[in-house]
Amino acid sequence: MKAAPITTIKTIVEKIDDGGPDVKVFSLVDPDRWELPPFRPGAHIDLHLPGKIVRTYSLCNDPAENSRYVVAVKREPSGRGGSIRLHDDVRQGDTIGVSLPRGGLQLDNKVSRFTFVAGGIGVTPFLSAAAYLMRTGGADFRLHLMVRGEPPVAGLLAPLLQKGHVVIHNTVSAARPDIASLIGRTPSDEMVGCCGPQGMIEDFEQATRDWPDELVHIERFVPLTRPLDPNEKPYTLVLSRSKLEVAVTAGQTMLSALIDAGIDIPASCCGGICGSCKVDWLQGEPVHRDRVLSPAERGKSLMVCVAGSATDRLILDL
Amino acid sequence: MLDVLETQGNAAGTGDRTISPAWTGLVRHLHITPRAFLPMRAMPEIKLIAGRGIEGDRYMIGREEGFYSHKPEEGRQVTLFEIETLVALKRDHNIELGSEEHRRNVTTEGVPLTHLVGRKFWLGETLLEATRLSIPCRHIEDITGKAIFDPLINRSGLNCRILQGGVVRIGDTMRNFQ
Repeated sequence: MKAAPITTIKTIVEKIDDGGPDVKVFSLVDPDRWELPPFRPGAHIDLHLPGKIVRTYSLCNDPAENSRYVVAVKREPSGRGGSIRLHDDVRQGDTIGVSLPRGGLQLDNKVSRFTFVAGGIGVTPFLSAAAYLMRTGGADFRLHLMVRGEPPVAGLLAPLLQKGHVVIHNTVSAARPDIASLIGRTPSDEMVGCCGPQGMIEDFEQATRDWPDELVHIERFVPLTRPLDPNEKPYTLVLSRSKLEVAVTAGQTMLSALIDAGIDIPASCCGGICGSCKVDWLQGEPVHRDRVLSPAERGKSLMVCVAGSATDRLILDL
Repeated sequence: MLDVLETQGNAAGTGDRTISPAWTGLVRHLHITPRAFLPMRAMPEIKLIAGRGIEGDRYMIGREEGFYSHKPEEGRQVTLFEIETLVALKRDHNIELGSEEHRRNVTTEGVPLTHLVGRKFWLGETLLEATRLSIPCRHIEDITGKAIFDPLINRSGLNCRILQGGVVRIGDTMRNFQ
């Protein structure tokens, strides 16, 4: 059988800790305890779970801990199934593929104070940031955590509580504090961040509407849709020999759409120079972005790693 | 370039004698990683196994845990990269690229890698045969977060087959086989 491309980082579940009510903390390591790709404070990774379920979680540990990814997952019975799968099916020693870390906070600029506002499990993106700030000692910070009852991830919060960096607001026994009062006005050397339920984020956005963008960081449970290039449009690939139609979404590469559809396409550089993924086209109007085909060759072929389509349908000789 | 040199040699009456570029180089850095995406780790020495690859590296034949392992290549047992390219990236593009970031195994100094395709040469006590120039890939931009695809076109290193194995250490000499 032909080997499949490796598209994720192979990790092993080293241990699963109790993170409080309905929360489990997963530590992921390389099978040989090799270093993992580095991440910024507040970064997140995708976990690739059985059944082609892909879920994004914030990394909770100090970025200096370069051989472990720690994620805290709250079991959401009414969610889309990823957290249930992790809670109910994943065991110590299991293998999980993860993506390269993405995103995170820019903590190394000229900011002397950070204020983070989080709701419940929304504390996770700020745990790695807090660990980073505690270790480097370059800036003061405070984390306001709103919870209903017992806070999550008590073990990860303990060192922060001990140093007085965390204020826990139990909204069962008192009203949720006004967010504007927590973050104050707009001093130029303070940065603020928020992660929590939609209502909390809306209040935070209102409270920071006059702040400079670079001093405000909002982390959402559901990622915003990437703004599309207005020139990028969806189109359909018609595979003449396979008698298949493959939809290419705006911004997606032709190669990615073909691979998702189970079409075996040889590809290598993915940048339009190596020539591996050349495919002949029959009808339509390709947009060529490669640097390998001559004008004459473009009349017959395209490179699926970078090419697009100016027409709604493009017929390929596949 | 080599073809030109050989033609010039023949034109000057050197008969069938092949002119090789004169060079002696050094091993400056050594790196391996066991799996795709993982950081390359600096090593003081690496062990090359003839016909297979580097002990512990992702592209060792039989291990197949590299990003391109689904595309088997017998001539990709060890990869090399010129340290001069790292200097040029800084000089020409203001890009700082570390020797652990280009993801080739051996960083060389003073070796005209692009001239060696099809040739044999000594890497310390090991003998290599250069099979093809490496090509850059978008994957390396994903890993490093640096826009290095374009600047690395035509200077992305060299793929080699291991003809004679052995241990390669930092500071080892590199030289032509002849």
